[in-house]
Amino acid sequence: MRIIMEHSWIFISIFIFLAILLLFCLIRAIKGPTIADRVVAVNMMGTIVMVVIAMLAVYMGEGYLLDICLIYAMISFLAVVVLTKIYSGVYLEKLAKKKRQQQKAVQAESIREGSTGKNRIKEMKTEETRLKDAGTEEVTNKYTKRNEQERSDTP
Amino acid sequence: MILIEWLQFTLGVAFLLAGLGVFAVQVFGVFKFDYVLNRMHAAAMGDTLGIGISLVGLIILSGWNFASLKMALIIVFLWNASPVSSHLIARLEATTNPHLERCCELEEGIMEHLWDEDQREIIYADQHKAEEEK
Repeated sequence: MRIIMEHSWIFISIFIFLAILLLFCLIRAIKGPTIADRVVAVNMMGTIVMVVIAMLAVYMGEGYLLDICLIYAMISFLAVVVLTKIYSGVYLEKLAKKKRQQQKAVQAESIREGSTGKNRIKEMKTEETRLKDAGTEEVTNKYTKRNEQERSDTP
Repeated sequence: MILIEWLQFTLGVAFLLAGLGVFAVQVFGVFKFDYVLNRMHAAAMGDTLGIGISLVGLIILSGWNFASLKMALIIVFLWNASPVSSHLIARLEATTNPHLERCCELEEGIMEHLWDEDQREIIYADQHKAEEEK
């Protein structure tokens, strides 16, 4: 402890160096083209801040700062989990919304053309055969199930 | 006694400076690589090795007391948390990037293991539509 106090310039210069690295991480977080880039940069900043807090705890001789450091680690991990869940959920929701709108447009068009019920069922059957040719049974099963539901819905 | 104190001090500061070197390499690598999945490789280095070496140096500096136990706990926690968060970030990138095959090589059939069932339904419907248009 005595030696650390006598040579405090080492610790102070390390603090300054870590602050410069933090600045570069901030630049990366602002520049990053995708969301994942920003999340990685924020995670990196969290790691460097953890080292700064631990060094401060040793430098000042205050043990309770290490508890703060541990809580900081847990919260930054939680932040990454929540951010990734939210962003992927928002993206998939947007995709599903677009798909639903397309389906509605197709249905409206078919009604406008004045196709009768028989023709609609024929069209669906042709679509089923096309999907079977594509060769994925899972998807066709889902489509047939959905079509059956639609048929039962429409009188 | 003075010799042991000096030995402790120099060893601790050497470990701390090695940790700083790893952090510098990490930041350099993050600016050097072009794509997120490559950048994550550089960023994961500081999460485990950088903070590990730095905190080992601080443990040596602070000596044998309760504070060093807490620092060891931080290292162990980060060793567990960092791979999980990296995995989640990579999954976010693979989900939100519609042209992943342009950015990196993909193994055959690896995309099928990536999503849950309802998410897979949404994404595959679009892919089928694109194939039919071709």
